[in-house]
Amino acid sequence: MVHHATSTERLNATFAALADPTRRAILARLAAGETSVSELAAPFKMSLPAVSKHLKVLERAGLIARGREAQWRPCRLAAGPLKDAAEWIEHYRQFWEQSFDRLDEYLRELQIKEKGNGRNK
Amino acid sequence: MDATSSAVTQSSDRELVITRIFDAPRSLVFKAWIKPEHLARWWGPRDFELVSCEVDARPGGSYRFHMRGPSGSDHWPQGVFREVAEPERLVMTWRWADAQGRPKDPETILTVTFEDLNGQTKLTLHHGGFESVNARDEHHNGWSSALDCLSEYLVDTSRR
Repeated sequence: MVHHATSTERLNATFAALADPTRRAILARLAAGETSVSELAAPFKMSLPAVSKHLKVLERAGLIARGREAQWRPCRLAAGPLKDAAEWIEHYRQFWEQSFDRLDEYLRELQIKEKGNGRNK
Repeated sequence: MDATSSAVTQSSDRELVITRIFDAPRSLVFKAWIKPEHLARWWGPRDFELVSCEVDARPGGSYRFHMRGPSGSDHWPQGVFREVAEPERLVMTWRWADAQGRPKDPETILTVTFEDLNGQTKLTLHHGGFESVNARDEHHNGWSSALDCLSEYLVDTSRR
């Protein structure tokens, strides 16, 4: 259960990092393969320091990893936290989809019964 | 699923949107969400049992469910109604709690809308909210294509 709090915090950090469209675009770009900061900055009308700031947020959330080579410092996607986020959504998707299947069946049953009983609240 | 249809979108960060059309009038579908005798018959994933539920469906009123899974595990979702606009809309907070009602995770928001389609009902469920409610509202676009790339990436990665 102690574990639970930390994983929740991690999930929050992941989603906070994903809440920004530039950061999502950066991740989408990195999904195609590792690359340098200047290459990442190219499609955005943004200074290198501004892009670096976004990269720091992503790095803190554990969504990307950066090489240690001083000059180039290539960025690449780290899959773990994204998987947790996807699992969170998948977990609730299943929860609701299965509930709705049951609701659908129940509503049918209920209406057949009502017809059988004539007028009934 | 014959007459029903269902669609799922992840429209932004940590927000799930599901729409489903039910072959039943809106007033009935709405009641199925707030009356314990109805809830007991459908709430929760397949093979889950609703052991008990308390529902005070009015703004500021609370609800608490006790669910039991097929393996015997117990779960308690609970929250407070923020909006109860019969038969159109329900807004409530949602969080998992323990047996004593102590919250186990951050609060989320559930918004359910019911739309009349000539006797059928289109239900739209939003499950989201969280710390980033404002951020979410600002960033509704551009998420799905990024998500597509990412899920492809994740599938590739997990195969390696």
